[in-house]
Amino acid sequence: MTTTELLRTEKLCKTFSSGGVQQHVLKNLDITLVQGDFTVIMGSSGSGKSTLLYAISGMDKPTLGEIYFSGQKISKLNNDQLAVFRRRNCGFVFQQVHLLDHMSILDNVLASGLLLSRDRRALAAKAKKLFTQVGLNEAAWGKFPSQLSGGEAQRAGIVRALINDPHLIFADEPTGALNSAASDSVLNVLTDVNRNGQSIVMVTHDLKTALRGNRVLYLRDGVICGDLKLEPYRPEQQHARHEKLTAFLAEMGW
Amino acid sequence: MKIWHLTSANIRSGKSATFSLFILIVIAGLLLNLGLAVMTKMGSFFDEKSEQLSESHIVVLTKQSNYKPDYREYFANRPEVAATEEEAIILMNAVKFLYGENDINMAAAFLNADADRSFGQVRLIEELEGPAQDGDIYVPLSFQASAGYKLGDSFDMTYQNETFSYRIKGFFETTMMGTPNMGIMKYFLPDASYRHLVEKVGDTAAGTLISAGLHDSKQSSEVRQDFGKQFPDKNMDVNNPLFWEGDIELVKSVGSITINVVAMILVAFAAVIVLVSLMVIQFRVTNSIDDGIVNIGVLKALGYTSRQIIVATILQFLLIAAAAGIVGAALSYGVLPVFGSIVTTLSGLIWTTGFDAGVNGVSVLLITLMVLAVTLLASVRIRSLQPVTALRGGIRTHSFRRNRFPLDRAAGSLHWLLACKAMIMNKKQNIMVACVIAAITFASIFSVVLYYNVASDKTAFVHLVGAETSNVIVNAAPETDSGKLLADMEGMDGVRKAAFLDMTSMKLDGQSVFTTISDDFSKLENQSVYEGRYPKYDNEIAVTWVVAKLLGKEVGDTVVAEAGEASYTYLITGLSQSISNLGQAAYITVPGAQQVMPGYTGTSINVYLDGVDNGSFMEQIKAQYGSEVGDIVDMNEMIDGQTSIYISAVFAVMVIVLLITILVVSLILYLVIKKMILKRKKELGILKATGYTTFQLMTQIALSFVPVVIAGVFIGGVLGTLYTNTVLTLLLSGAGINKVDFIVHVPLIAALCAGLIGFAYGISMLVSRGIKRITAYGLIAE
Repeated sequence: MTTTELLRTEKLCKTFSSGGVQQHVLKNLDITLVQGDFTVIMGSSGSGKSTLLYAISGMDKPTLGEIYFSGQKISKLNNDQLAVFRRRNCGFVFQQVHLLDHMSILDNVLASGLLLSRDRRALAAKAKKLFTQVGLNEAAWGKFPSQLSGGEAQRAGIVRALINDPHLIFADEPTGALNSAASDSVLNVLTDVNRNGQSIVMVTHDLKTALRGNRVLYLRDGVICGDLKLEPYRPEQQHARHEKLTAFLAEMGW
Repeated sequence: MKIWHLTSANIRSGKSATFSLFILIVIAGLLLNLGLAVMTKMGSFFDEKSEQLSESHIVVLTKQSNYKPDYREYFANRPEVAATEEEAIILMNAVKFLYGENDINMAAAFLNADADRSFGQVRLIEELEGPAQDGDIYVPLSFQASAGYKLGDSFDMTYQNETFSYRIKGFFETTMMGTPNMGIMKYFLPDASYRHLVEKVGDTAAGTLISAGLHDSKQSSEVRQDFGKQFPDKNMDVNNPLFWEGDIELVKSVGSITINVVAMILVAFAAVIVLVSLMVIQFRVTNSIDDGIVNIGVLKALGYTSRQIIVATILQFLLIAAAAGIVGAALSYGVLPVFGSIVTTLSGLIWTTGFDAGVNGVSVLLITLMVLAVTLLASVRIRSLQPVTALRGGIRTHSFRRNRFPLDRAAGSLHWLLACKAMIMNKKQNIMVACVIAAITFASIFSVVLYYNVASDKTAFVHLVGAETSNVIVNAAPETDSGKLLADMEGMDGVRKAAFLDMTSMKLDGQSVFTTISDDFSKLENQSVYEGRYPKYDNEIAVTWVVAKLLGKEVGDTVVAEAGEASYTYLITGLSQSISNLGQAAYITVPGAQQVMPGYTGTSINVYLDGVDNGSFMEQIKAQYGSEVGDIVDMNEMIDGQTSIYISAVFAVMVIVLLITILVVSLILYLVIKKMILKRKKELGILKATGYTTFQLMTQIALSFVPVVIAGVFIGGVLGTLYTNTVLTLLLSGAGINKVDFIVHVPLIAALCAGLIGFAYGISMLVSRGIKRITAYGLIAE
């Protein structure tokens, strides 16, 4: 099986300054992400997981080092170039969902989609198809985010992330604010889209969530100290995956 | 103490918000103090000036040949008169000189600067150094303020085809005969220059000046009118321009009309700005409470009572209001000289304003009380706020009944639709912005319409003052058959029409009234009768509404007119308006005038030209009629000269109003957009994360205000177009005006409105540029 490089970092560093105090959050990270992977980034609180996610997604700029996305150097792009890069290449799923609360969920999705497509009818049809795929029926499309349950809202968030056919979806603790049933439904959606070839990078500190990935990167104090490869997720192999991941995390001192 | 801690913490935590609020209240305080200072001083300005300059309250100027010793004696015998004085002067009926950019032609009185006098001594404002020389002249201050003359400039005047050149040695202040709108101007000549002029012009220009000082200046009009009754023959001579009389009350009414209008505009505008400020303050206070709602929850959870929190909030805004009000009042003393210069331009008098603790106190108190009321109203909801609700950021009251502007169906671009969604989210705030913009658009249109009518198309303004907009006035010589002359002129090439228009004084039911006489009022351009019609027959009369009110008459009633010994009863056919002579005027036909003045024929022929320039026509008349005609006046020159003093004053008002408009539009958009960015920070971050560029978001923010600004500008524009004349009528009603018909030049208003919308859009883009610095991550991570 051939692997195509999707994203690569070279000596990636991120430092925050506050009150004259420098905090080095990411330290010389060299990471390569491959197309079709469901990569999970784990680590304890403050290890730099979310910082890494937002740095490689072009949401934030690295302090030092380079980021290449499909061979294009994105670390030197300005904010507007990064915005264009994101709309063409990235989809985002946030822990707090971050749907715009004054718009229906259909409009939330179209507000992203219309940045790249002018065919409203086709785009709306695509959005509705995606809604159906993630289990949101027609009655929900016109609702406002606050009228949905947490799981429904997050699934709408996933549709928003998918609407522009991104090369990579960045998910930051997508189940962090959900109950167990809602978490399962969201993870099933993410697993399904990954199975269809969608690359995903997900930050989580939840073991059950991490099980869905086929690669787990472990971050400690801004450094990758573990890289576990797994077979693509299949529910019937969950027990074996669980043991393997638990052992890996134990080794990492989690 | 706890409350004070809370208050000071609130102020410290929102320094930039405090600063913007401070600036707004400073502007409100400044304008309020300015308005109050102007209003309180306006009424007594001329009286104080008259006293300060030791000027007489009544002045009579007469050619020496018409002089009667009885004139002075009459005043001396009146119990109201405290002192009289008489001096020889040089009196010229028509002197032509450059005033501003135009030549004007009017009567002139030359006084010996070195002669002893108790009334109206030379009060120089500015003087060239060194002793006065032959050829020096002292001119009224208006020459400097309105006409642009400087010390040492050459001043040329033409009298009876001879030009006299002088060097301006100084500018003096005077309430009488100091501006062109008096119809006569006063000059002082140093002894040598005076003697020289006497030698040159000889006895033909010899005149006498009679001055009278009264115990109470308010009686000056009455005493002067009685003087007119005592010596009616002089007033009957409409062909004799060498007799001029004036009193301080008349001077006040003529001189203060425009100043009052300017002052009223400024005061009205100050009121609009104060109102606008209060709306924005209310918005700011509400936002401040919204922003600090979690803190309020924390304080309530800690045990602070609602009362303590409300008092701390009120104290916070009261402190800002009081401090800003004081600063605004102090700064108004920096702006008052601008108003003073407008007054000087209009009156030729220096306006000075000293420190007035009473006015300052009232304006600071008013501002503070208004802010107190607004803060109280805004902060009352703190009382019903539960700690837990406050800790959760308050109750969000979204209406989800309808998803407005659905992106899959609504017409318009993506950014426009998102802007519309944002606009709908802030309905209350946008209504406030639209109201503010409507108010200041109205004020701007008002000032621009005023300027347009005074400076560009002057017809309506000239008609308002009561003048007729003919091209040339030809005065028939005393022995000439003026009727034949009129008919001849009507037949001349290039003459569109011609009409008699004379002025005389009559008594209507015992009341002395300036009366206009014409052979055919329908020929006049200035149709000032707004109810009924002008007189057509010899037993008809039209009067101003002021006269009608004074006499308790209306259209259809009769009135008895007296001139000398004769009297006649006329039917009132119409009501008119006039700003001159305190709005007291009447109109009769030539046959009507003959009923009380047997043998009267018209004298002044107003000629309206078409395709012929005034100069050529005047030359032609002189050549063709020679001694059959007396003075020939170029009306266009006269109007330009007399209106020039208003142009710079109204221009200054327009500039002030437009500057404040720009400032208020900028300030309000700055406040609401800053607030909007703060409130929608997370949302903007989400949009940035999904790929929106800074410019696209800036455009959305700016576009979301476009409909609001357009609505405000449209409302203000329509109101300005429809009601500027109504407001002006209200402002001028005290001066005898019942209906103003200023030209509302729609293209100009449309350009102003378009400019305002463009400016607002530019400012919105500029202010929303602040989101450029914020990264998508930074916005979301907040």
